[in-house]
Amino acid sequence: MGYVAVKAGEEIIERAADLFEKQRLDGEDETLSVDQIEGQLDRLTAQAMSEAGLYAPRLAALAVKQAQGDTVEAAFLLRAYRSTLERWDETVTADPSEMFATRRVSPAYKDVPGGQILGPTKDYTQRLLDFNLETDHEDDEPDDPTADWEVDETEPEQLTNVMEVLREEGLVHEPEHEFDGEPADTTRESVTHPVDRDEVLQELARGETGAVTALGYSALRGYGQVHPTLAEVRVGKLPVKIEHPYTDEEVRVTDIELSESEAVVPVYAKREDPQFAFGYGLTFGRNERKAIAMTILDASIQLDSESEPAENPEFVLDVVDGMDSFGFIEHLKLPHYVTFQSILDRIRGIRHRAGVGSAAGVDDEAKNGDEAENTERDDSEQTPMEINNDD
Amino acid sequence: MTETEPPTTGQTVSTDSVDAVLDSLDGDDGLDGYNYAYLDEHTKREVRRSILKAIAIPGHQVPYASRPMPLARGWGTGGIQASLSILGPDDTFKVIDQGSDESVNAANIRRLASDTADVETTTDTTDADVIQTRHRIPEEVLTDDQILVLQVPITDALRKVDSSDAANRRRHAHKNYGKMWVHLYENVVEFGEINIAARYPTMVGGRYLMDPSPIPRWDVPKLDDADNLFVFAAGREARIYAVPPHTSVEPLAFEDRTFQVERFPDQSCQACGSTDTYLTEIETDDRDRQYVCNDTSFCLKRQDSEELPKDYHLDREGVDWGPGTPDDEKSATPEATVDSHGGDAE
Repeated sequence: MGYVAVKAGEEIIERAADLFEKQRLDGEDETLSVDQIEGQLDRLTAQAMSEAGLYAPRLAALAVKQAQGDTVEAAFLLRAYRSTLERWDETVTADPSEMFATRRVSPAYKDVPGGQILGPTKDYTQRLLDFNLETDHEDDEPDDPTADWEVDETEPEQLTNVMEVLREEGLVHEPEHEFDGEPADTTRESVTHPVDRDEVLQELARGETGAVTALGYSALRGYGQVHPTLAEVRVGKLPVKIEHPYTDEEVRVTDIELSESEAVVPVYAKREDPQFAFGYGLTFGRNERKAIAMTILDASIQLDSESEPAENPEFVLDVVDGMDSFGFIEHLKLPHYVTFQSILDRIRGIRHRAGVGSAAGVDDEAKNGDEAENTERDDSEQTPMEINNDD
Repeated sequence: MTETEPPTTGQTVSTDSVDAVLDSLDGDDGLDGYNYAYLDEHTKREVRRSILKAIAIPGHQVPYASRPMPLARGWGTGGIQASLSILGPDDTFKVIDQGSDESVNAANIRRLASDTADVETTTDTTDADVIQTRHRIPEEVLTDDQILVLQVPITDALRKVDSSDAANRRRHAHKNYGKMWVHLYENVVEFGEINIAARYPTMVGGRYLMDPSPIPRWDVPKLDDADNLFVFAAGREARIYAVPPHTSVEPLAFEDRTFQVERFPDQSCQACGSTDTYLTEIETDDRDRQYVCNDTSFCLKRQDSEELPKDYHLDREGVDWGPGTPDDEKSATPEATVDSHGGDAE
């Protein structure tokens, strides 16, 4: 009777957890260190941080290790931890143009102020498995491919934002009025519809990478009107500042790595003064795919239409969160025999009235396995019917 | 906002000191480093405020800032937030999942509460101050000292007929439940009866349509005019609602197509012989179908004492508590809530 009828519920839970832990430790290999994960698998830790809404590379590496590489599970560990922390302060509003970019491409222009900076990327290489990586850990010191480079030891520079160029020309639709007041915090106040844009951006920024990508793609694929031109995509470090509690002066406390994307969309709000709509995307860590998809969704949601999934804020925000979808999808593994009994009662009652099967489903004929199967086959040609059992 | 108030709780750990984090999570001494009952005091206060508001407007869904919990969403995170917010160290806590105290998920939730809130736990319904449950209301009558916290997967009964919460909030505001009535009517036309299994839509206090969570129809009559408080809490959907004691709760039905609970013709529990409890089927290895009580804790009592009434622990007798109890007929077939438009469906 499996996972409910056991008396020793707690012992079973512990043993199942021990077996899971053993999977990680199986085999002869050395255990991965948190340092190695943080240093070498930073795409994983970035995704976990971004979906958790907590910038903490070291904790993210720990979470990835504990989750055995499952990024949603890792993000879940981080969020559960984050929710127990007291909040001490809020940062000074960060200006993304202060970012020190290690990579910046502007698809909209051939050249832009500050230039195109490819930075570290594999975008333009052939995706061939590199079998040298199989053995490179055996080398005492792996070859640094950039060892012979002659580089100026200059600090990375802050770049002019390409959107600024467009804004100066008046091509970008600006909000009617400046946003004043406190931004919402959707981790502290639940989202209700209609939503404001600050809530949309927060929820998208924490959205599950795959879900954001899929929904963003849906708009491009034809389920929507938004096909943006990216003004720029940037990856870099953004200084984080707070007001000093005693001197009230702004002090820089840390830098965080971010991916940022901005796009214009040729959807004109006003006929007499046509201007681009625009979209914005920002995620913790290196995750250009999610940042760009978020840009598409932000632009789509601003159209506020119910005709396409990606343009319907309620639909997008309801399905984009990894914790929500992962939890509810996997809850189907929990016992459901109470509700299922209720469903069985309904379907047997309806079948009985329709002249197939018996009311209780336990009369002598139906008890026989073979015949029960036969009656089910009879039913299969009828119209499918829906019994409401959603839980 | 909580952050403007003076911090009273917890210890923060800087993001780079993993050792400190590990230390605080490690060891046998429960959850050192976490606040009493896991949640910080501001959060618990907010949840309690939401519960009070929910009690003040029976059946109305109150949004609250559902926190990420160390359980997966959809696995009782709303229920546990409500439970942890109202539990105190003197309370006794019971957790059931689909009628069973022994389910692994119930065990996990119970352990979180006993580790962090230092509460006694019990499997005896009559001993518990707070009972957290997934999809059942116990067979034993609850009293005015007890609170039943129900885990809620889907907060709005209207979700069946419209996926948009924004649209449904407007319907609730206007008490506009026409679309649900049409849905039920179409059921009758198509199948001869309303074919909703669990999660049966109910009208609370004659005002709000409420999703009673996926309890079987068997349990729905227990919500009506009960002595105890029912708190419904959804973590993923971040809503709390309540049915206060002695509130009228009526399942939607038609005059000529009345509300029906699950039927177990000629069946009794294989373990205790009960015929007045909710049974579930077991398919055995030799393909023999057996029925047993779903409320395992009460079934054990009935095995010791065959005729034990569901209100044996009360001073009075004949308490109406759903099917199989004295007022059974009335509660199982409530008077119609609207004029009949069921028609000659069959």
